[in-house]
Amino acid sequence: MTGLAWRSLRHRATASAATFVTVLLGTALMGSFATLAATARGPVSAADRDTLTTMGTVVGAWGALIVLSAVVSTVGITVTQREVEIGLLRTIGATPRQTGRLVRAETLLVAALASAGGAALAWLGGGVLLALLRNTGAVRESVSYSPGLAPVGTAVAVVLVSLVGSGLASRRATRGPASITPHEVRATTALLPWWRIAAAVLLLGYSATMAVVTITVTAHDDDPYSAMATCGQLGIVVALGLACLSPWLLRLLSGPVRPLLGSGAAAYLATYNSRRRARMLSGVLAPVIVLTAAGISVFMIVGTDDRTRPAGFEDDARTINLLNNVVVGMMVVFAAVVVVNTFAAVVAHRRAELHQLWLLGATPHQVEASVLAEARGVAAIGVVLGALASLAAVVPFGVARHEGVVPDGQLWLPPLVMAAAVALTLFAARSALRRAHVPRGALR
Amino acid sequence: MNTPALQVIDLTRSYGEGVGAVRALDGVDLGFARGTFTAVMGPSGSGKTTLLSCAAGLEPPTSGRVVVDDQDVTDQDEEHRTRLRRERIGFVFQGFHLLPYLTAEQNVGLPLRLADRRPDATRVRELLTRVGLADRAGHLPHALSGGQQQRVAIARALVTEPAVVLADEPTGALDSATAREVLGLLRSSVDDLSQTLVMVTHDPVAAAYADTVVFLVDGRVAGRMDRPTADAVAGQLAHLADLAVGGAA
Ligand SMILES: Nc1ncnc2c1ncn2[C@@H]1O[C@H](COP(=O)(O)OP(=O)(O)O)[C@@H](O)[C@H]1O
Ligand SMILES: [Mg+2]
Repeated sequence: MTGLAWRSLRHRATASAATFVTVLLGTALMGSFATLAATARGPVSAADRDTLTTMGTVVGAWGALIVLSAVVSTVGITVTQREVEIGLLRTIGATPRQTGRLVRAETLLVAALASAGGAALAWLGGGVLLALLRNTGAVRESVSYSPGLAPVGTAVAVVLVSLVGSGLASRRATRGPASITPHEVRATTALLPWWRIAAAVLLLGYSATMAVVTITVTAHDDDPYSAMATCGQLGIVVALGLACLSPWLLRLLSGPVRPLLGSGAAAYLATYNSRRRARMLSGVLAPVIVLTAAGISVFMIVGTDDRTRPAGFEDDARTINLLNNVVVGMMVVFAAVVVVNTFAAVVAHRRAELHQLWLLGATPHQVEASVLAEARGVAAIGVVLGALASLAAVVPFGVARHEGVVPDGQLWLPPLVMAAAVALTLFAARSALRRAHVPRGALR
Repeated sequence: MNTPALQVIDLTRSYGEGVGAVRALDGVDLGFARGTFTAVMGPSGSGKTTLLSCAAGLEPPTSGRVVVDDQDVTDQDEEHRTRLRRERIGFVFQGFHLLPYLTAEQNVGLPLRLADRRPDATRVRELLTRVGLADRAGHLPHALSGGQQQRVAIARALVTEPAVVLADEPTGALDSATAREVLGLLRSSVDDLSQTLVMVTHDPVAAAYADTVVFLVDGRVAGRMDRPTADAVAGQLAHLADLAVGGAA
């Protein structure tokens, strides 16, 4: 009995830890940029105010989108995993309202603790970011760090978003009749909810518009960085749009990637799990897309800029590309952590099911191979979609800088980033399996 | 026909060591003849699940032997025990344990898939027809009722024509009408297909479907009853506490 209690606690611990880490790092990332916007409101020169505000708000806004979508998705996975428990609660008479309240209370507890920690990290991170800007001469030495309430405000915002995320997910979990047999997790074939479609349309529509604006308008501007301002982030924005559609994309593309999964029982199981329970694995797919797109698009653009920059813009280039590298570095680290955490939560959630497979006569190797095959499928789909998304930034910028549709150099970069993203996903699956300790024991 | 499909000999299973040790099974001797239906009953914690787990090679006994189909499987390595579970033993669980992302038909064929064999579509259909779900072959488990899910699980347990089907409280999560259907199916797998069936249950009505009831108390066999009726089983259960005291004295 004690063993059982421990096991269930550990399950939940993995899922809660995923929410905790996502909220912690998310708040730290968003908050660091928010402190720059806050610092801009202090006694600084007009030029410095411009630089700081741009970094804090423009860059921060795209970072915020990544963070917030990751938070909504992670919280959603945690809540979805509790469908069984929610079903059980409802069979013993809890109303949907009561179970929703319970889920929100738990999310609030985890998110509040995590975002408090994140606010502290943001306070430190903002200081480091400003020091970096001062050292590279992007802002004057005299600018003093005044984060004000920015870290706290960010923390509050992230907590609110977490609550919205858990509200959306728990509404789904508590819809319909209470289940009398809550032992089995339902395979979900539900279509995309409207808010995912709306967000995707918005993000993809914005990207298409800005790509056209880049090629037709800002490409001809005297300032060579006007084009970068309108298209630099489009790789990430398109990736976010695709991430919104990730459950649907996973189901759609699980057929074409089937040859990659190998043959035999493991591949068979992986194919059907990816297709019929796409919502669960799409939580891993989304950050893989974003990670790949962010890495490829930003590094390629910096490369194109280095090759085609007109003379006299060296100072601008130093600041802007430092900014690019910092931003992409932070986002890639964040997305990588989300991949690892989400995989851990998904596999921990499936422990009982993987144990059942073993009971029915799957070898331990088959059990692990089925999870690794899923990881291969997700990785393949993720890096291809991510690479496609990065074109939204690379192509318009290449056209604007007269390199044409295909950049003149660094063509080795996309395969490298894709290989790294695949390696990360497979590592995440392996470490999730190791941490989950799929039980091999008695019937109980 | 004479050698039992499943036999456990002086089977003991202890958990922990020293003063805190629990003897979940304490010298159990039982043989289950081919084509028979045996119910195992006893109070909670009497060792019923442990008995099934040891018999299926899911956990090693502390001492004693397990013999399936004339083959001593006690000391087999992990690979052989996996093959044992996959091919010689069928399971039916209280919680059904269907894979949520496979259809009824695919769940039935799963034990064969795990053995890297392609399930024979007609055989799978036949089994689904036998359990009355021919028209639900393409449904996912969440679109099936509890009773229907358990019927799929029974078809799955039969697909490899195992030496013995082990069922741990297969009707524990079902209402009584659905439970009767499931018990009828289990009974017919013994009568029509000559399956050997060992079923753990708490319910005297369920036990009455069996040919024999074996009572366990504190990890020991505390009695058996042939051709049980629900009333007789209920009466015997009421006396189990006395049996336990008598056995200890
Ligand atoms: N992993 C374990 N560790 C310690 N004790 C256990 C373990 N599993 C079962 N037991 C003990 O063994 C006894 C028999 O358990 P079990 O076979 O599950 O009983 P039943 O199925 O008859 O209710 C109980 O006292 C139980 O507490
Ligand atoms: Mg039991």
